[in-house]
Amino acid sequence: MKQNPIKNDSILKVENLNLAYGDYQVLEKVSFSAKKGECLVVMGGSGCGKSTLLKSMVGLLSPQDGRILVDSIDLWTVNHEGKTSILKKYGVLFQGGALWGAMNLLENVSLPLQTYTDLGQSEINDLARYKLNLVGLSGYSDFYPAQLSGGMKKRAGLARAMALDPDILFLDEPSAGLDPLNSHRLDNLINELKESLGITFIVVTHELPSIFDIADDSIFLDGQTKTLLDQGQPNHLRENSEYERVRSFLRRGTPIIKN
Amino acid sequence: MNHVGDISIQAKQEESQFSYIQFRKETNFVVCTLKGVWSIENNSGSEVRKEWEIFFNKNPTIQVFKFQLDTQIKWDSTLVSFLHKCRNDLKVVNKSIKFDELPSGLSQLLELSEPTLLEKKQNEFSLSLELIDDTINYFRNVTLSIFSFLGEWVLAILHLFTGRSKTRFQDFALSCRSCGASALPIVTLISFLTGLTMAFVGSVQLEKFNAKIYVADLVCLAMVREMGALMVAIVMAGRTGAAFAAEIGSMKLNEEIDSLRTFGISPMEFLIVPRTLSLLFMIPLLTIYADVVGILGGLVVGTVVMDFSVIHYFEQTQVALHSMWEIYSGLLKSVVFGLIIGLVGCYKGLHSGNDSSSLGRAVTASVVVAITLIVIIDAMFEVSFSYLNLR
Repeated sequence: MKQNPIKNDSILKVENLNLAYGDYQVLEKVSFSAKKGECLVVMGGSGCGKSTLLKSMVGLLSPQDGRILVDSIDLWTVNHEGKTSILKKYGVLFQGGALWGAMNLLENVSLPLQTYTDLGQSEINDLARYKLNLVGLSGYSDFYPAQLSGGMKKRAGLARAMALDPDILFLDEPSAGLDPLNSHRLDNLINELKESLGITFIVVTHELPSIFDIADDSIFLDGQTKTLLDQGQPNHLRENSEYERVRSFLRRGTPIIKN
Repeated sequence: MNHVGDISIQAKQEESQFSYIQFRKETNFVVCTLKGVWSIENNSGSEVRKEWEIFFNKNPTIQVFKFQLDTQIKWDSTLVSFLHKCRNDLKVVNKSIKFDELPSGLSQLLELSEPTLLEKKQNEFSLSLELIDDTINYFRNVTLSIFSFLGEWVLAILHLFTGRSKTRFQDFALSCRSCGASALPIVTLISFLTGLTMAFVGSVQLEKFNAKIYVADLVCLAMVREMGALMVAIVMAGRTGAAFAAEIGSMKLNEEIDSLRTFGISPMEFLIVPRTLSLLFMIPLLTIYADVVGILGGLVVGTVVMDFSVIHYFEQTQVALHSMWEIYSGLLKSVVFGLIIGLVGCYKGLHSGNDSSSLGRAVTASVVVAITLIVIIDAMFEVSFSYLNLR
């Protein structure tokens, strides 16, 4: 199904989005689009509204104004069935993994499959085991989340997010709290999934090495102006962004040495 | 190529939206061709699995299996998971599998998902001597932890008196407000209705002896000796005991307890002492209040339904409460109840597990254990008072 992803075709489009918690405005007039089979990184300093934007895109926080189009359907105005069918195309990895504590890993990954497919139990188990293997958790299917380390929880969360072969995977700070090797492994996994299955990734992160490894495109959110400051390929932005803040963010604050 | 046989077992070939598999036997290997639509949406994978099982079991001599994809195939994870399973099946019997002819994306996924660890078995249940041993150990540990908890609490209270404690007065005051003043509305409602109900029940019986005025005796004695303390204790077990367990349990879940310990602050002194002490002080006050409101509940029935004057009812109440011991005995009980509720709630919270479901169990257990203990101890009090001629 995802063998030959048609590239350069936007799957997710955000138009003039305004986000707020009550009276507190978080983001204003944010517009961008994510292309099919690409990895879009949402970056910005702490508290700039990255996670809020993600919440809104995955259907947890309704926007004050603006539209979020998934395959040209507005997530926030479509009826209940329409929204469910959009959400079925989604996979979401939360910051802490957000695994269900009362279920072991296999059950955690199986639950979406049991809910949304007609597959038999043995196939579901095989599929769930395969997804766990994919994130390097083979042999841990009987473990409960409380018995795992933070990084393992995160990887199990990714396996669960991939359970239904989503078209779009939203990852909230996937490599935060992982050791460099595991973080690198995760980046490789993202790249390989993108290439082999054509999954679109929306990744919220501020880990620079990850950003340069995985991003095809990126947007930079700014906490001061509460807007989307710049958009483009991170390597390009680092050198050529017209905003000093974006350039120094991508250089970890090191000033440009001019010869 | 030498075609020995062309065995083609096809599942639902006529319907192209389903997945199927074709086997072609060569001299010393088999080529398995995968076709159709492999999707999580249609449930055709199970047919292919059956075909595979049958073929695999029928041909034990074949050593090498080659897999290839049809050019028209459409696939998602179900295909990868099927190949993954085939690889595991073949690995068990030491046969070789070749994925050379698969597209690079697919073989990458298969490579990534290659199991690196053997399946670890956990949480297996078996009835054996070990189980009995475990049970005995469990009860020993629980008993030990209860006694060490109580011992620590007593030590913390002694620390408080010697002035070396890390208990903060503001925590105590806050806790007093939340388990004292904030509980007034619910205590008012419950005790008023208790007094009212007892007056109604009593009046029906006493009317038969033409002794309706003794409703005042019945209500006031029952309230001060028994119902005031008991009702307040039950309300507080559900309200405050559960809150203690939930609060401390979630602090444990968030590693807040650990962080207190790393600062050298004992959670016993910092969290548990202010909570248990505030409940210990507030419960007798609430009980006195509940006694009064309960008597007022009886008064409402006495004046409105049974037409006694307010003065008459109060005079009768005064006669019934001939000694202060009636009230003190209720208060004595309530202090013990308060101690039990506070200690049980805090103990359960502190000993909840590391996941959300065990927190739920801890909260439930704190209420159930506290109420059970309250009822048992209440019965013990009444029996002893009666034998000691204190009633």
